[in-house]
Amino acid sequence: MAAHLRNGVRAGLIFGIVIVFLVLIGFILTATRYLQQFLKLDVLNSFATFLALLGIWGGITAAKPTERDTWLGALASGLSGGLISGVLVGIFTLIVGSQVDAGVNLRRYLVSLSPEAVNLLRFDRATGPGALMLLGILIAASLVGAILARGVGRGEWRRPVGDRWAAIRESVGQVPLVRTVLRSPVSQYVAFIAILAFVLWLPTRLTQAWDYNMGTIAIYVLLGLGLNIVVGLAGLLDLGYVAFFAVGAYTVALLTGPQPHGIMWNFWLVVPLGVALAALAGVLLGIPVLRLRGDYLAIVTLGFGEIIRILAGSDALTPFSGGPMGVVGVPLPSFFGLKLGFEEFIYLLIAGVLLVIFVTARLQNSRIGRAWIAMREDETVARAMGINTLTYKLLAFGIGASFAGLGGALFAARNQFTNPQDHTLLVSINVLAVVIVGGMGSIPGVILGAFVLKGIPEILREFENYRIIIFAALLVVMMILRPEGILPSRRRRLEIHAEATELEELTSAAG
Amino acid sequence: MGEPAVPLRVRKPLSSYQVAQIVLGIVFLAFVTWRLYTVLIVQHVYGPEIWLRFALSGLIIGSVYALIAIGYTLVYGILRMINFAHGDVMMLGAFAGFFVFEALGAWIVDPAAELNFLNAYPVLSIILAFAVGMSTSMLAGVTLERIAYRPLRAAPRLVVLISAIGASFFLEESARLMFGSQTRPYRNPDLLPRARGLELIVNDRPVLITYTGIFTFVLSIILLVILYTIVMRTRLGRAMRAVSQDKQVAALMGIDVDGVISRTFMISGIWAGAAGVMWGIHTGQIDFFVGFLPGIKAFTAAVLGGIGNIPGAAVGALLLGLIESLGPAALGIDFQLKDVIGFSILVLMLIFRPSGLLGEALTEEKV
Repeated sequence: MAAHLRNGVRAGLIFGIVIVFLVLIGFILTATRYLQQFLKLDVLNSFATFLALLGIWGGITAAKPTERDTWLGALASGLSGGLISGVLVGIFTLIVGSQVDAGVNLRRYLVSLSPEAVNLLRFDRATGPGALMLLGILIAASLVGAILARGVGRGEWRRPVGDRWAAIRESVGQVPLVRTVLRSPVSQYVAFIAILAFVLWLPTRLTQAWDYNMGTIAIYVLLGLGLNIVVGLAGLLDLGYVAFFAVGAYTVALLTGPQPHGIMWNFWLVVPLGVALAALAGVLLGIPVLRLRGDYLAIVTLGFGEIIRILAGSDALTPFSGGPMGVVGVPLPSFFGLKLGFEEFIYLLIAGVLLVIFVTARLQNSRIGRAWIAMREDETVARAMGINTLTYKLLAFGIGASFAGLGGALFAARNQFTNPQDHTLLVSINVLAVVIVGGMGSIPGVILGAFVLKGIPEILREFENYRIIIFAALLVVMMILRPEGILPSRRRRLEIHAEATELEELTSAAG
Repeated sequence: MGEPAVPLRVRKPLSSYQVAQIVLGIVFLAFVTWRLYTVLIVQHVYGPEIWLRFALSGLIIGSVYALIAIGYTLVYGILRMINFAHGDVMMLGAFAGFFVFEALGAWIVDPAAELNFLNAYPVLSIILAFAVGMSTSMLAGVTLERIAYRPLRAAPRLVVLISAIGASFFLEESARLMFGSQTRPYRNPDLLPRARGLELIVNDRPVLITYTGIFTFVLSIILLVILYTIVMRTRLGRAMRAVSQDKQVAALMGIDVDGVISRTFMISGIWAGAAGVMWGIHTGQIDFFVGFLPGIKAFTAAVLGGIGNIPGAAVGALLLGLIESLGPAALGIDFQLKDVIGFSILVLMLIFRPSGLLGEALTEEKV
């Protein structure tokens, strides 16, 4: 019983603090508005729903399995969890509510605590009854969560159903036809062509805004695949990755645009030049940092990235690079006399992505790719095996940078402008998040990561303000729960879980 | 043991990497010498009073960097990881101090004289601001370690670093969403007015040493000495040094390694919180991004002094503050590019001498 109560109190404290935090950053109001649209409820009901969902989650966490897993214990955990979180949130509401009643303008210091948000928090009632309602909802939801956790989550029915499901999967896998289809490379090609056809067809059906978003996703796929080579394959954490993106973007902007220099070369000539310059920058940047270890490397590359951004935006270089205003009026390219519009540009991006996927896939399984992976695993051993690690590191920097250069070139041409704000550290972090969330070292993973991190925020535009904080939280959570990413490469998964599987084998052998 | 008959040092041919390094170094030195020569001898724009002004402001900011830098150094010494979120821990401390000053400033003690608490009891107010700021940062540091770093103790370094980067942006964004993105003026008690202070007459012109500057510098030095004493003289300090040398052996000697790590984050948080409040008091404004640049600068300082080395971090920080404030004028470049100098020092230091200026002493101590 003591263990149950302890779990409950801990979950209650955590969820209480989290709910108060969500109120403080204004997330509750945003989420409530979203639920209101989505569920067609009124404001108070949707707030109650949101709160109840959090409470249920809290109850499930509170009633986690213990040694003597009784119904009574689970209920006690749920009750204590709900009580503690309810009391925490209630006290917070009392304080905030009384301040608002006293006429204090909380928004002056805590920008998210608008009168609207505070009234929502106390259900449009006086502060006291409102806080009590909060307490009641949280306790009830937490109890429901505990019952769900004990009854559904750990019920007797789970094992037979799970076994049957495994048996079904097994037997389907054994059917000769299914097996052949799953194993044969032809089915892979078919799947690839189907996806490609879908992607090519999609832009014709989309609105202009979504064409734009899809373009952004494609650019992030390019960047992600480039960083994937540096971080995922070669294991070098590069936080200044955006610098190469900037090199590509500025090359196209300065050489095809009418403004600061009026060079106005052909776009198709400039793109390879931008890619080459980015690759060169990658190698040049790589040379001095070759000997550095993982985390020093990250900081040095971060320093390089910031230097390039500050220089690009400085007054000293304004005549050359356009300064803080950047370069505007970059023309859209034309294709054999056909002027590419906004809608057509997406096909150019898709072509770029295909090229990069092809190059990455070929590289990955080549001598070079294997050398990178060996280096990532153990540099000393790789060197002992006769791999010239310096050359391969430079190669990784150069190729990764060239992908970013391509991304930057296409980015500048599509947006028709570029300025230092497009090249902040945040871009590097976003790309890193794409690679991490998708799965380091895995091409489908990176593509999925770009869709998840760049596509979903466009669908949930209401949460725009919370994009970065969610990315940041995702980085931490992914590192703790699933460091190999959503769609990891096989090798990576085996690597990270090597110890766990070895242990399992040992215990199963012993048992 | 006699002298070996053949000298052990055999001259190895230089690798192309070393050649590249040397060339790069010579080019860099030539550039710096040329700029210094042009600015100091040929142009001769600034008189001694200007240089003194730059040097003083550099030393003051450097002393704040020192408080943050020792946080990096302590954590690096023990966990061999860069606590990327350390600058943001400092930012939280700065905000806590800001709220204390605002709250005390709004509390009218004597309505007749319109006297608020902040000016009625300025010393108490400052102590309160520091206490709240330091405890907030301490709490932030410990929580950070519990949530983002402890579960990853056995994970590869890359994984921990990525988690730290995520934590850093998480703290920054939470501050932005909670407190807003505008820059906020820091409300000092009248005892510590901004832009006023002692005046020195140099070269017939006044050089102002602000009271906030004196306060910041003196308090930083006191805190640095206290920290050094803690690490060198107390039981906890001994445990910290033991853990930094070898975690397993330390555990065998009966040291609670997790506890020591947690306390290290506690201490580094406390000192970062003090730095945050000082930053607010001295510079007069804070925003949610205030921790980022000082964080990186302080890390640079820690590297400059040899990471893992506490006196090194302090010396490196003062040096960095000086270079940064004298640099743009001495090299005759745009003052906008001040941060480029800081980053360049970081990059150059890591390339040419990753063990830092005082790094050697540390390695000897550790053998």
